[in-house]
Amino acid sequence: MNPPRLRLFAPALLAILLASMVLAVTLGPADIAPMEVWQTIGHRLGLVAESPVGRLREAIIWELRLPRVLVAAAMGAGLALCGAVLQALTRNPLADPYLLGLSSGASLGAVIFLLLGATLLMPLGAFLGAGAAMALTLLVTQLLGGVTPSRAILAGISISALAAAGTSLLIFWSVTADSYREILSWLMGSLGGVVWGEALPVLAGVAVLGGLLLVSGRALDAFAFGETAAASLGVDVARLRWLLLGGTALLTGVLVSIGGAIGFVGLVVPHIVRLVTGSRHRLLLPVSMLAGAIFMVWTDTAARSLFAPRELPVGILTALLGAPIFLLVLFRYRRIT
Amino acid sequence: MRPLPHFLCLSLLLTAPALAQTEYPLTLDNCGVTLSLPAAPERVVAIRSTSTEMLLALGLGERIVGVAFQDGLAAEPWTAQSAVLPVLAEKLPSPEVVLEAEPDLIYAGWESNFSLEGVGERATLGALGVATYVSPAACRSIVPPKLSFDAVFAEIAEVGALFDAGDAARALIAAQQAALAGIAPDPRGLTALWYSSGTKAPYVGAGRNAPQMMLEALGLENIFAGVDDGWISASWEAVVDADPDVIVLVDGERNSVAQKKALLAENPITSQLDAVIHQRYLVIPFAAAEAGVRNVPATRDMAAQLAGLSFTP
Repeated sequence: MNPPRLRLFAPALLAILLASMVLAVTLGPADIAPMEVWQTIGHRLGLVAESPVGRLREAIIWELRLPRVLVAAAMGAGLALCGAVLQALTRNPLADPYLLGLSSGASLGAVIFLLLGATLLMPLGAFLGAGAAMALTLLVTQLLGGVTPSRAILAGISISALAAAGTSLLIFWSVTADSYREILSWLMGSLGGVVWGEALPVLAGVAVLGGLLLVSGRALDAFAFGETAAASLGVDVARLRWLLLGGTALLTGVLVSIGGAIGFVGLVVPHIVRLVTGSRHRLLLPVSMLAGAIFMVWTDTAARSLFAPRELPVGILTALLGAPIFLLVLFRYRRIT
Repeated sequence: MRPLPHFLCLSLLLTAPALAQTEYPLTLDNCGVTLSLPAAPERVVAIRSTSTEMLLALGLGERIVGVAFQDGLAAEPWTAQSAVLPVLAEKLPSPEVVLEAEPDLIYAGWESNFSLEGVGERATLGALGVATYVSPAACRSIVPPKLSFDAVFAEIAEVGALFDAGDAARALIAAQQAALAGIAPDPRGLTALWYSSGTKAPYVGAGRNAPQMMLEALGLENIFAGVDDGWISASWEAVVDADPDVIVLVDGERNSVAQKKALLAENPITSQLDAVIHQRYLVIPFAAAEAGVRNVPATRDMAAQLAGLSFTP
């Protein structure tokens, strides 16, 4: 695509995202007319004085669907952004929070804090876990002789397996038959039952951390030519790398603490976006965020509506859609690995 | 109509051995596996509380050589008896732990207990001369019909037959039938949610198994009766949409009623439910919430709780 059309691309996606969210709020197991949804939202925002919608239907819209749709969008945007940044930092087309062990590390950290009874500190546990997993992955990659795509991915897979085994061990020892199901569904990745109290920190986290990562686009473009080239373009390579790695670990921690390890979004979305935008990060990062958000809003709407009144962990759907695309990516990059 | 074959099956079991004791070798089909007993089992391992309580209720406590994966001690009047039973494992035991107890029968409450992650495959155990029995209501390889009290009584009769304890089984069934007949379904046309566990996605009783059976006996309409499964992970949205009149809370050791009540009251969505606002709860112990000898007493207990709830606005 030529630049003028590209300039229109991001606003168009933003419009699609808003339309998707507006539509997703009207869909769900309960049969609620779109009109009731608007009346409720207008009422809650103080735009309409009186609302004819009943108390429980209003609760379904305002307390269940709205925070969930917003969190789904934030989750998709955050994961896609983390994936795009990690792919650039490690110069590895297969990098994402899932494959580099961040998600598994975050899960382990969150489960440890959960079992210690510190439910409120779960995001901190998830961040510490994600940070530790990332540090280990990078350490192993360095010990293997420096960052190459295949080394980073192999190190990430081993760290991921290690963290997953640790999580399984903890669950095996501590969880009784009945509560196993819920932890399992969280590990598969689910946005079920998200309330405002949990949604707001995530929305704030994605806004702040996402904003900080977004402005790094120009520096990442320099990075893409290699560290020496980046340094000669005036980028403080070491400092920038640590800032970005810390930022992605923190953002992954925030996301995993609420939705569990939702896979493949961070991997797949930047690749599809790159097909359209090319690999200039100034464009790739914001467009990936928008595309990721749209993708998650719809997969999560499907997860809560398709098998109603059952609730399906959305991670199953993202993997179901993401894994085949991941295979295509593997074929596309087979020359590199 | 489903109850008829059940009833026939039950009456066969009830009347046929009434004349005589169980004849061995005994062969019967259990959840798609042929079970052969050369003689009445003398050494039994019970997995899950429902199995232990079934054996204790039939006066077979002395034959239990080990229990595993129990939800605490058995209910009264068997609590003291169950306290002295050897606990092989707090959770699912490994094959070695079970075989060390040298059982001639393993009686499991869930079919999944007989798996490579658990006690071992039924065929493998059978080759070692260890018979295996799964509570028929928990069978998944062959989907059992929608659970009824007659099917629960049939399990009592069948277990009685396995152990040549037909008299005890018949006495227990007669007592439970009488108790069940004394439970009048609530006439108020109320709806109910059967809330087993879970916070983000509640695990609830659906239309096929013990929850539905007990709710029907109570005269309550299960909001998830239309889902053809025993239990499901439901969405809170579906629960709020149905706004049940009463909520049945399953009281587990880890998932206690107090925790559930607190969760329902604190959550911004569930706190809006009528049943939560007016505290219209029925409580059932965890081990009584699956098919077994405690279903009838638990239903009677819940009927008394239900009668005490007021629905005047």
